[in-house]
Amino acid sequence: MISVHSPIVAVGVRAVTPLAVVVAAYLFFAGHNQPGGGFSAGLVLGAVLSLRTVAGLYHPVNGSKLMAAGIMVAAAVALVPAAIGGGMLDMVVWSGELPLLGKVKTGTAAIFDIGVVLIVVGLVDAVLDGLGTDDIAIETPASTRGAQ
Amino acid sequence: MPFVILFVHAAAAIAAVVTANRSRVTAVVAAALAPATAAVWGFTALLDPDTARAASFTWVEGLQLGFDFELSPIAALLTFAIGVIGTLIVIYAHGYFGTPEPTLGRFLATLTIFGGSMLGLVWADSVWTLFLFWEATSVTSFLLVGHKHAGSGARTAARRALMITGAGGLILLAGMMVLIDATGTHLLSEMEAVTGTTATVAAVLLVVAAATKSALVPFHVWLPGAMAAPTPVSAYLHSATMVKAGVVLVAIVSPILGGTDAFTYLAVGLGAATMFWGAIGALRQRDAKLILAWGTVSQLGFLVLLFGVGSAKATFAGVAVLAAHAVFKAGLFMIVGEVDIRTGTRDITELGGLHRSMPVAAVVATLCGLSMAGVPPLVGFPAKEAAVEAALGLAGTERLIISAAVIAGSVLTVAYTAHFLLGVFGPNTAGPNAANVDTPVRPRRMAMTAPAALLATASVLGWLFDGTASKPITRAAAALNPKADVYELINWPGATTAFFVSAGIVAVGAALGVARSRMLLDVPRTIGANAADGLLDETLVIARRITARGQHGSLPVYVVTMAFVIAAASLIFVRPAVDSVGELPLADSPGQLALAIATVLAAWGCTRVDSRIGAALALGVVGLAVTGLFVVQGAPDLVLTQLLVETVIVVGFVIGLGRLRRSFPVTGARWQQIRALVAGLCAAGVAAALIAAEGAASSATAPPTERLVTEAVEEGGGNNIVNVILTDVRALDTLGEIVVLAVAALGVIALGRPALMTAKTPISPPTREEVRA
Repeated sequence: MISVHSPIVAVGVRAVTPLAVVVAAYLFFAGHNQPGGGFSAGLVLGAVLSLRTVAGLYHPVNGSKLMAAGIMVAAAVALVPAAIGGGMLDMVVWSGELPLLGKVKTGTAAIFDIGVVLIVVGLVDAVLDGLGTDDIAIETPASTRGAQ
Repeated sequence: MPFVILFVHAAAAIAAVVTANRSRVTAVVAAALAPATAAVWGFTALLDPDTARAASFTWVEGLQLGFDFELSPIAALLTFAIGVIGTLIVIYAHGYFGTPEPTLGRFLATLTIFGGSMLGLVWADSVWTLFLFWEATSVTSFLLVGHKHAGSGARTAARRALMITGAGGLILLAGMMVLIDATGTHLLSEMEAVTGTTATVAAVLLVVAAATKSALVPFHVWLPGAMAAPTPVSAYLHSATMVKAGVVLVAIVSPILGGTDAFTYLAVGLGAATMFWGAIGALRQRDAKLILAWGTVSQLGFLVLLFGVGSAKATFAGVAVLAAHAVFKAGLFMIVGEVDIRTGTRDITELGGLHRSMPVAAVVATLCGLSMAGVPPLVGFPAKEAAVEAALGLAGTERLIISAAVIAGSVLTVAYTAHFLLGVFGPNTAGPNAANVDTPVRPRRMAMTAPAALLATASVLGWLFDGTASKPITRAAAALNPKADVYELINWPGATTAFFVSAGIVAVGAALGVARSRMLLDVPRTIGANAADGLLDETLVIARRITARGQHGSLPVYVVTMAFVIAAASLIFVRPAVDSVGELPLADSPGQLALAIATVLAAWGCTRVDSRIGAALALGVVGLAVTGLFVVQGAPDLVLTQLLVETVIVVGFVIGLGRLRRSFPVTGARWQQIRALVAGLCAAGVAAALIAAEGAASSATAPPTERLVTEAVEEGGGNNIVNVILTDVRALDTLGEIVVLAVAALGVIALGRPALMTAKTPISPPTREEVRA
């Protein structure tokens, strides 16, 4: 048995989860001009995912599928420009004004980065799965709702 | 257009797989449409030869990465042949396979992909494109030959074919690289004729590569074995496609390398030897399909001989025989498949009276067979006539040798044709069941008879309208040898020397064939097949032995081995490291020095503690100290990533440590010494390499940072250079890396899952089947 179920850990991890998602989102968008990016965002999500796994909390993630989706997203970003007559991996940048946020700049590189996030999260989950974490007592979605 | 046709092939393959089990007709129509589009395109090119048809897609400019297609006249002719015969083969396959046939979808899909690969090969202008599609035909033909993979015969045959043609592909690659070196371009259409040592090497390599694909002696052993494939495959692979790839290669490099002696001697020598050996092999067989297979070997030798001679008339004859052979050999194989399906056997000693019970097949086979023998009124006659004239038209010793080879080979061709036709359709005279009883036959299947009949009709029409038929052939020959544009097919030459020689060939050959068909010989095993299979088996045995020795499953030994290799590989850096160590500062800042010392201490501590959790903690200290080094150097991106990786790893340790004992297992003193020694060597080696790199960098010119900064801001539109490099400027690298990540994760799952399974469930003793496997 890996861990004795600890309520303190479980409550702590549960409280941290939304924060981690926000941090990951921040890192993802900050990555364009500051430290961060898809890899870091994926690692933050992966870290909280593995914490939830250890704490025996429910996590609705299928690593293999996430990785497959990530590769498809990245490959699409790579191949679509070639298919419509450009070079492979030609990127497009958009910029414009949004209410509240002001000047915003994004591009197909961000979509590519989403692929990176998916693969990193999927990788962490797949490796945890490979290490055999499924015998840690995992709560179901129903029990999550009951506890809150 | 080439890309559209290739796309149609890919789409048709998918459609065939998806629909085959629900609607057989849909799958067959989808699979037939793909070669039909190629046939139409090839036909328009034959009608309108003056329009240039080329297409290319460049992926990476400087590396010649991409596809370059050009429809040369010979490619147009072959495209038409491949397309038409491919369409007929799909229809034929519909009749050949009974209902229900669960593997039909897979079969049609593989056949379609194979057809697409063959088209790509024929169209290729860049040698890299040629190589790519050449290999694709090897792999897909492997799958087709091994289609009935439940039988070990098909598996052995498929493996043998793959080994020989795959090795040939590597030789082709080597030959093409030498050829590029000799001619200075990778586009076949831009290559000039070359001679000299480099050209000689290229010629030898390319002719040998062609010999593997086109089953020339001594590489012919795969072709008779490939008869284990379903007959539609044999009819397609050994008429218009696959084996023609080698001949086409010889043909298209003949204008470039024809000036070298090696090319001529090797092509003529291999061609003549193959022509004889194949024909003798055909005469020794009792299986009707194997007679045709060996006949194909013989014909391929004949073709390579003609292209090797290289005179204008010989080139013309080569193209003519190439086209005629595609038509009649496909028809003959189709008839053999029909005989096989309707009587249940292909052994000519068991077949009797089929000319009565299968009259249509008998007529079709006779027409195709006479075309193969070179008898009027069939298109094989003017083609063979051109070859005889070409041989007689040479001068001196060359005339004597080539004429003797062509005449003798043709006599044997007529002989095995007679042997085939009399054996299959004549009365049963030679076998142990020589009771003159007719073999019972099942009802005719139109989908099998009609395509063969169409091909036989084409052979007749080709003879009747010799002027129309010879136009594309003359153009194709003229593209290879400009002097060939004066020749054409002549359906009735009158009383020329060549005509009398041909008449003599047919008379002698027919007499030989009739005599042979009355004899009963034992069927020989293919000479060389044992050697090829033995080589392959022995390789596998050695591989298994090496794997058992190297992959022993001990993780500590793996790690120590890897560390030792790294240490050994770093030896070359010791010298430059010693030279530059004096010039480098001890540390950039006091903080850096302190962190470095902390890193070393933590790493040393990691090796000294007994408990696993202690070691994990020490590793964590190493990671954090390295993070600190990044902070000191001012690399925030690295700091962030390193911290996050460390965090995730800690959780991984928590899970992993839960499954292991608290402390490390006790090891022997000797093993500890080895580990310490190797670790020390590895550390010293890596340190030397880093010092050498630093020394080299400090003396080199300005680092490329500046260019990257401008590129990142202007093209990527971001100020975080690292991320812009990752997701834009060098996105291809990132794409490769994330694929590696995914593959590594799959590896973890694949390795981890079964280990956990076996740990949880008690191991049951293996079953009898498992022991045998």
